[in-house]
Amino acid sequence: MKNLQTILIGLLALFTFILTFTACSATKNKYVNIDDKVELKIEKSGAQYWGETCNRCHLAPSPADYNDTDWETISLHMRVRANLTEKEIKKIETFLKSAN
Amino acid sequence: MKKTALILTILVLCVAVNAQNNNFEMNNNSPTTVKPSKTQFMVRGYGHTGLNSLKSKEEKESSFVGSAFAPIFLFKHSDKLMFEAELEFVLEGNELEVGLEYADVMYVVNKNLTLRAGKFLLPFGTFMERLHPAWINRLPTRPLGFGHDGIAPASGIGFEIRGAFDLGGPKLNYSAYATNGPRLKDGSIEPEEAGLLSFNNYEDNNNSKAFGGRLGFLPFSDSSAEIGFSGYTTNGVGKKDSAYENVGAFLYAIDFSFVKQIPALNGIIDIKGQYNNSKVDNAFYVEMHEDGDEEEYTFNNRSNSFYTQLSYRPTMADSDFLKKIELVGRFSNFNAPEGAEWEEQSDQYAFSVNYWMSWRSVVKIAYQTTNSIGGHDGGGTINGLFIHWAIGL
Repeated sequence: MKNLQTILIGLLALFTFILTFTACSATKNKYVNIDDKVELKIEKSGAQYWGETCNRCHLAPSPADYNDTDWETISLHMRVRANLTEKEIKKIETFLKSAN
Repeated sequence: MKKTALILTILVLCVAVNAQNNNFEMNNNSPTTVKPSKTQFMVRGYGHTGLNSLKSKEEKESSFVGSAFAPIFLFKHSDKLMFEAELEFVLEGNELEVGLEYADVMYVVNKNLTLRAGKFLLPFGTFMERLHPAWINRLPTRPLGFGHDGIAPASGIGFEIRGAFDLGGPKLNYSAYATNGPRLKDGSIEPEEAGLLSFNNYEDNNNSKAFGGRLGFLPFSDSSAEIGFSGYTTNGVGKKDSAYENVGAFLYAIDFSFVKQIPALNGIIDIKGQYNNSKVDNAFYVEMHEDGDEEEYTFNNRSNSFYTQLSYRPTMADSDFLKKIELVGRFSNFNAPEGAEWEEQSDQYAFSVNYWMSWRSVVKIAYQTTNSIGGHDGGGTINGLFIHWAIGL
């Protein structure tokens, strides 16, 4: 039992270390500029992210229920609470602010 | 104490309303428009109330319950810095109970890393962190193994790092934290709970901290499925300089979620589940007999609980009424260690028909049956009918 515990915690710690290391080094200037590349993938809309992401826990909110300022506050809260990616929350916030 | 808490809350709310009124400043160029201030403040939260009717072999009881109110205060200083806190007011046993669910400060370092410190909800599985609020939980009750005397930790005081990665379709999220950790109930105050872990360890009872984390993986680009693995360990849960100081604990959880609109079923299917396992190092506890004699005993201190829930909303139905209906079924079980004073094996089935008045207001009519062997109530079957109304604010 102790061995299993040690292995599991060890793996979790190692994985977390790798993720944290990667996260800390994730600055914009490390990425390749894609302006000159052909983007073949069709980007999802904010409405799609809103429908898919919010519904994972609760019903997707009505954009009209809050103003732009409120949505900014709620977005930051939900980004951390639900551990969403930056891309997801930015797209959702933009959609909510455009549709309210 | 409670009056003071109530007065403080009213004061905070007054300040909140005033702060919201001053949240905008006039734009000199255009007197009819306002621009938002950099600092933003919001009060959100949720509340619920309802009727509980419980029936066992020995007794039957029925009572209007709840009127629970959980305001959430959000203070946004910038796009990266925020303080959040949730209070919980619950009427229970003819008394008003006030609790601080969480109060933490968070800072977004970059797109993959966020820091949190304070009292925060623990990402041990997903139920307590994401799903337990009454307007989100599809049933009026929590699954077995959560809440009072549950084995899954809900919150902790400490420090956390968390974040998420977009893997070009699939997504990965992580969190890792250090907290004060749990406190072992050694039986000196409540002999019937000797060996249980209490996670309300606001002032650490020893120098051992608890370390834990969760990894969540969303394999599909539509985020319809997520599987998560959580771990939580500490080398010491007993009071410093006591015989239990070096009693350690290791807990883990596996959670699963699948939410997707399926055209063939004319609606949204929502499947959720979580398995919790708790292992506390074996220790000797004292049992007091009625004649005053003391007897030492020990047991294999391993507990587990599990729940799975299926809900269906016919969101693509032609009828507007049907679109607002949700059918929910949940099974949960809880196994406490054999030989413990709190030994218990319980199975619970719960079913609910929900009516969504809006995306954040729901009326739940639920039936629940729990079969137990052992436990606080001595076991048996308890059937319950619950009619609850929950609203997100």
